[in-house]
Order: sequence, then C-alpha cells, then structure tokens
Amino acid sequence: MSAAFRYEFLMQVRKRSMWLANGAIVLLLGLLSARSLGDVLDDPAAKATMASTAVLVNLILPVGYGCFLADRLVRDDRLGVAAILDATPASAAGRLAGKYLGSCAAAAVPLAIVYFGFAALYAATAGRPVALGWAAALFAVVILPAVLFVGAFALVVPLLIPAPLFRVLFVGYWFWGNAISPAAMPTLASSLVTPIGSYPLEVFFGVDLAGPEPGALFNFLRPEATAATALLSIGVLLALATLVLSAAPALRARITR
Amino acid sequence: MRIEISGLTKTYKGKVPALDGLDLLVPTGMFGLLGANGAGKTTLMRILAGLLRPTSGDVRIGGNDVTSRAGRQAVQRVLGYLPQDLGVYPDLSAREFLDYVGLLKGIDDRATRRRRVGELLEVVALTSEADRRLRGYSGGMRRRVGIAQALLADPRLLIVDEPTAGLDPEERIRFRTLLSQLAGERTVLLSTHIVDDIAQTCRELAVLAKGRLVFRGTVEDLTRRADRRVWSVVTAGPAPSGGTIVSALPVEGGLRYRVVAATAPTLDAESLSPNLEDGYLALSQPGPVEDAMRP
Ligand SMILES: Nc1ncnc2c1ncn2[C@@H]1O[C@H](COP(=O)(O)OP(=O)(O)OP(=O)(O)O)[C@@H](O)[C@H]1O
Ligand SMILES: [Mg+2]
Repeated sequence: MSAAFRYEFLMQVRKRSMWLANGAIVLLLGLLSARSLGDVLDDPAAKATMASTAVLVNLILPVGYGCFLADRLVRDDRLGVAAILDATPASAAGRLAGKYLGSCAAAAVPLAIVYFGFAALYAATAGRPVALGWAAALFAVVILPAVLFVGAFALVVPLLIPAPLFRVLFVGYWFWGNAISPAAMPTLASSLVTPIGSYPLEVFFGVDLAGPEPGALFNFLRPEATAATALLSIGVLLALATLVLSAAPALRARITR
Repeated sequence: MRIEISGLTKTYKGKVPALDGLDLLVPTGMFGLLGANGAGKTTLMRILAGLLRPTSGDVRIGGNDVTSRAGRQAVQRVLGYLPQDLGVYPDLSAREFLDYVGLLKGIDDRATRRRRVGELLEVVALTSEADRRLRGYSGGMRRRVGIAQALLADPRLLIVDEPTAGLDPEERIRFRTLLSQLAGERTVLLSTHIVDDIAQTCRELAVLAKGRLVFRGTVEDLTRRADRRVWSVVTAGPAPSGGTIVSALPVEGGLRYRVVAATAPTLDAESLSPNLEDGYLALSQPGPVEDAMRP
C-alpha cells in the first residue's frame, strides 16, 4: 500500500496539467474578486474570512481535481500496466488503497498551497495570525473530506462509464449538488451528503449552509445542524467513499475477465 | 518448478473456448509455446500468472493451485511475468518504474532494491536512459523495461509472452541467450511467433491450435515432422501449389521457393533437410497424423 501511495502521489503531482488548471482557476478567481480582495484582506473576522474562502475553494477546485483523478484507476488497464502490477504478490486491496490515498494526497497539494497561501497572506496583511489556525481546521474538516469523497467516485465510476462522460456528469452534479439552494429546486445541497461540507461549515465555522429547508425535497437528509450531525455528515461522506471504493474490484473484474 | 495443467478450459463471455480441455506438463527448464494468432497462448499465460480465472480445469504450479487465493499468491511470489500487451507509466522514469514493481514484489530493503534495479538496467542496456521519463521510450525500449521488471525478484518461474517482439536483432539474441542462461534451475515458459527463438533456446515445446494441444515434444521431434517434406523449386513460372511456401528468393532464372509439402511439388524439386519452422508448418498440413498427439 505504501508503495502504491508513494508512486501514485508522485505521478499525479508530476502532472503538469493539474498545476496549470489549478493555476488558471485560481487566477480567474483572483481576477474576478480583485476589487473586493483589498477589503477581504483587511477584514478582521479571521474565522469568517477563512470559512468563506474554504467554501469558495471547495466549490470550485473539486471540478478540477475530480476530472484529473478520473483516469487514475482505468488507465492501469488502458496503458497495460495492470497485467504487471496484478502479477505481483502485493495485495490488490492494499494497492487500491495506496493508489486512492496517494492520488488524493497529490490532488490536495495544490489546494493546500492555494488555501494556506491565501491564509498566510491574510494573516500578514490583516495582522491576524489566528487565521492560520482556522485555515488548518477548515482544511482538515471541510476540504480534505471533499477530496476523499470526490476521489473515490472519480476513481471508481469511470469503470462503469467512460471517463470523459464521468467528467461531464460530475461537473453537472457538483454545482447541482452543492451550489443550488434547496429552495430553488430539488437538490442534495445543504444536506448531510453535500461534499462541500455544509454541516461542518455551518456548525463549526458559522457559514449558513445547512439544515432543513421548509417544503424542499430530501429534507430527511437535512436534520437540524448540530455538532453531532456535522460529525455525522463527515462520517457519511467518508463511509460513502469507502463503499464506492470497495466496489472497485468487482467492477474491474467485469471488464477484464 | 513444474506446471501441471489438466482439462483447462477458458471461455470468454459469449465466445468459443480460447482454451479447450488443455492437458500439458511443463517441466523445469526452458519450454517453448508456439501457435497461430488466437491459438490461446496469451490466455494460457494469463491464467498461469494468476490474472485470469479458468472456466474449468486444474492448474498446479510447483504444487500450488492457481485458482485458490493462497496458491496464486505463492506462485506470484516466485513469478516473473512479461505480458504481451505490455505497458508502463509514462510519467515515471525506468528506474522509478522498476523500483515501484520491486516494492510490489516485496523487495523491501531499499539498498537491495536499488542494487537490483541497477543490475537489471545494465542487463537490458538501459543504464544511460534510466532516468528519463518512459513517455519518450521507443517500443523496443519499453519492452526491455518489461523484461527487466520480470527478472526483478530473481523469479523461479518466468512467463514471457512474445518477449522479443519489437526488439532489434542484437537485443533479441542477447535476450534469448539470457533466458537460456537463466533457465537451469528455473522454469521459463516462452511464447513467440519467431520460431527460431525457440529453436535456439528450448529443448521442448508445445504447439497450440484453437485452444487445443496439437504437439508436445522436443525441437527435434517437431523438426522431424517435416522430414522428406521440404523442397526447393526454382521456377520463373507460377508458384508451386499444393504446399506451404516458406520463402521465395530471387535467383538467376526466376525464384527459388522453399516449400513444405507432403509430396514433391514438381518433378525437378530438390529435397532439403528440415528446420523447426518447416516442422511447425508441416503440423498444420494434412498428412500422416498417427502420432500427432504424442504426449
Ligand atoms: N479479453 C478477451 N475477451 C474476449 N475474447 C478474448 C479475450 N482475449 C482473447 N480472446 C479470444 O481468445 C482467443 C485466444 O486469444 P489469445 O490472446 O490467447 O491468443 P494468442 O495465442 O495469444 O494469440 P496471438 O498470437 O495473436 O497473441 C482468441 O480467439 C481471442 O479472440
Ligand atoms: Mg498472445
């Protein structure tokens, strides 16, 4: 597992396109918000600033890494490397776990650079070093679970449908399932299974994103926002990721046997 | 390490069997596998390497049942496998790729692994290119990386599926010599379309056709199948019919054909002594078949 982790991390981190895409998105966001950036950097509300930045990072950047991670598992068969790896005595489950965690870790590197880079800039200009602490907490509780959730689907779903189709569907799902208000149309947003982390964002960081919406569909997935439901939400996201991953061996066997 | 195969059948979804009740014993040493495209060689090798589950039948390698999880792992611990459709990660260098496979093969000690990778890069003559990304490698160079990974953990069982395809003549000869040298105590199962590679390295071989065993014996046995069946005919006219043309060489007065045929194709045909390739071709011709299935 550690071998797969190490090399999957290395290969993903080396992908120039990943850096270019992340760079482009961040640049775009920067330009779009350039006028307000000055105000933001002076804003003394460190927690709120870090939280709203985390929402932005978590809303936009997964579109990039979800697409990048989509080839990680299927390409082993496509490239013809799978035959070599599968003929080694290393456990297949361990290799899958290593691949998953390694490529997710690599996908998280640019996020960390962008997010902590901004946090450091803010901490310095606003004179609020506490922002770095909030940033670390948000990264762990909100940004990483999203990476793990998206990573699992991005690895496994392309075993069922072509990776390009997955990317299109994923981007559609992402905005539908995260950004749309449940008052506007039926959506999974603002629920326990919302990968941008509506519950932890609301409960721990004071962003108003979660909880029941009168008259909306899927309200059974929107209990009152409390510390317990926030933790439950993170747990549900990680459990779904594990579940999806555990289906991978059977799905792969279906196409290779 | 012996390979004992009995009643082995593999049917891919909705297809005719790729392997059809195959019985075969592969002893320790070098063993060749011949057969036309689609004969089932790769299917057999993938089953032996634990990548594919047989539909039915029994496969034991050194006493281990490859259809069981434990047996498969035991085999894979001593296995070096070079797949026919070999691929590498384009974003790693040859050295990194080999290091990765070495880790998966359980060479945990870093220094040992480095030394072993270095040695094998030397063996496949890639030392000077070893730190370049594999993306830029030619087909033959990739195959050499594949050969190196197969040899990494000093395997007692080597399964190589068309290892010399795409290699330049020098590398091809170097590699098949290396295989013979390695054989000794090991079992090396070699499939190829280059009959000469088997003639130069193996004492025994098997021939598959449509998933069945059509020959198993020594190189001499198979060569002898073409005894008094190889002819040389020089003609400027139409090609001789009623046999398999092995070659056509321009000479003074037309073309010199080498023909494998049960009877002399022309009155002035000259009889030649057969080689392994002639024997292989004779196998697929109608003729005396009384001992075609000699075990
Ligand atoms: N993954 C697969 N799915 C379906 N059919 C397959 C698959 N792989 C092989 N076959 C079929 O099984 C038969 C045997 O194929 P196999 O690749 O074992 O032959 P081979 O002897 O290795 O041929 P070649 O010399 O061309 O490499 C062929 O008819 C082929 O079409
Ligand atoms: Mg083949």
